[in-house]
Amino acid sequence: MDQGNPMNVPATRKDLMIVNMGPHHPSMHGVLRLIVTLDGEDVIDCEPILGYLHRGMEKIAENRTIIQYLPYVTRWDYLATMFTEAITVNGPELLGNIQVPKRAGYIRIIMLELSRIASHLLWLGPFMADIGAQTPFFYIFRERELVYDLFEAATGMRMMHNFFRIGGVASDLPHGWIDKCLDFCDYFLTGVTEYQKLITRNPIFLERVEGVGIVGTEEAKNWGLSGPMLRASGVQWDLRKVDHYECYDEFDWEIQWQKEGDSLARYLVRIGEMMESIKIIQQALEGIPGGPYENLEIRRFDRERDSEWNDFEYRFISKKTSPTFELPKQELYVRVEAPKGELGIFLIGDQSGFPWRWKIRPPGFINLQILPELVKRMKLADIMTILGSIDIIMGEVDR
Amino acid sequence: MDNQSIFKYSWETLPKKWVKKMERSEHGNRSDTNSDYLFQLLCFLKLHTYTRVQVSIDICGVDHPSRKRRFEVVYNLLSTRYNSRIRVQTSADEVTRISPVVSLFPSAGRWEREVWDMFGVSSINHPDLRRISTDYGFEGHPLRKDLPLSGYVEVRYDDPEKRVVSEPIEMTQEFRYFDFASPWEQRSDR
Repeated sequence: MDQGNPMNVPATRKDLMIVNMGPHHPSMHGVLRLIVTLDGEDVIDCEPILGYLHRGMEKIAENRTIIQYLPYVTRWDYLATMFTEAITVNGPELLGNIQVPKRAGYIRIIMLELSRIASHLLWLGPFMADIGAQTPFFYIFRERELVYDLFEAATGMRMMHNFFRIGGVASDLPHGWIDKCLDFCDYFLTGVTEYQKLITRNPIFLERVEGVGIVGTEEAKNWGLSGPMLRASGVQWDLRKVDHYECYDEFDWEIQWQKEGDSLARYLVRIGEMMESIKIIQQALEGIPGGPYENLEIRRFDRERDSEWNDFEYRFISKKTSPTFELPKQELYVRVEAPKGELGIFLIGDQSGFPWRWKIRPPGFINLQILPELVKRMKLADIMTILGSIDIIMGEVDR
Repeated sequence: MDNQSIFKYSWETLPKKWVKKMERSEHGNRSDTNSDYLFQLLCFLKLHTYTRVQVSIDICGVDHPSRKRRFEVVYNLLSTRYNSRIRVQTSADEVTRISPVVSLFPSAGRWEREVWDMFGVSSINHPDLRRISTDYGFEGHPLRKDLPLSGYVEVRYDDPEKRVVSEPIEMTQEFRYFDFASPWEQRSDR
């Protein structure tokens, strides 16, 4: 730097600066390390380094029966816990051709949609906090606490529920839960309107978010994106409609999608999804049938499935829980539309209680791959906007 | 069902030496291929008009230690246009190198890194083959069946040296393996 003459402009350095946005973040992003190469304020390259939260979930699954593994799965995506449980249970159900009773299907859908709302809320808070608006971060926890209360009344735990079982759910809804849930839906619609008034047409927000991180339609498909990222780029692909799983076909709802593919479009898709989830929950609550909440027949081994009524085996085995559900020797890829994207399990069963291979396909892992491409010509401040709009959760990215 | 259309079409159109075995089941269709022709097969599936498999959902490795070519690499693919999925499997042993499919499916970059990290199946000319989930100095490939669940080393923070050190593992309790046969259930044909 030229110290002698104060009238001279100091010489600027022209090399690129490498900055480490270290594994710890002040906002709730989890442990993701980004090595960012900067030229002034422009980002040249960004390299995410994962693996800080790798816990070996796949290897543990090879040594646990399904019922033992259920507490582990909620730790993958700890904000949308019902989805991870749903998929863990759907795999063996499909392999063993187990029917889920109607009431259990409805209860599952209600829990899944509540979990979707909770996950989108907790996406919204840190996203706004990264952009600079601290207030929504506190507002979302108000609604999320209500969801936690509903979960605690039904399942016993606020977050890590362990509620789904092969063949249904672990216990029935308590008396009065349905009314509380309907009250929550009415209240939540006013809450979402509040967010929209506060955020959606806010000029500062639009300035930060519009046109940032544009993903084209073909690019989205090539990079394997799923969930709101794909739907914000113009592809109307929602596994709930496409796969016809559980009882989603009985409800009247629409796929939320946008065309532009920037962060604003992703925000709008997620807000829209929250409102659609409320619609689904209200329809499900009004139409919930009676009946058993769990398919108790599968507690017997399939060899004894056609046993005589009132026989020794029928009387005693169907009442005792068999802790090992034998996975037949087949392979299967089962998927569910998690709030982050397509969550999948590739399951290879061995003729024993433990699976041979349990591969988790996390949506965050794939959605995060596009980050270096998107930030290439952006400013430093846009990295956080784009990272926030991709909505990753490191628990599932690293497993 | 839509699922069967790309399967049937590709079964009829593909050269037989590319595909060793095709199997369809209600749980998803799979085709086994030789690792030499893997890239061509995936290229065909991706670009051909009637099979437009544009999305690579998942690449997964499986370890069957009893087989000669012990690893199996599974490519789960999705066609959004025709709404069908297909699974392509190829086998490899510890020293075979499979061809990377990153140029076809950009999302495969990280999956192939993970297959390398977890199993040791490497790719030829992969643009970026490094470890992805394991620790910085980890030796071994975790998801192989011969690496035990608890691993071989444990890490702890060592106060005299003021850093994290790796030491051979010390288990205070042996690995508990429960035999879950319930006395009520007769497993006569086991």
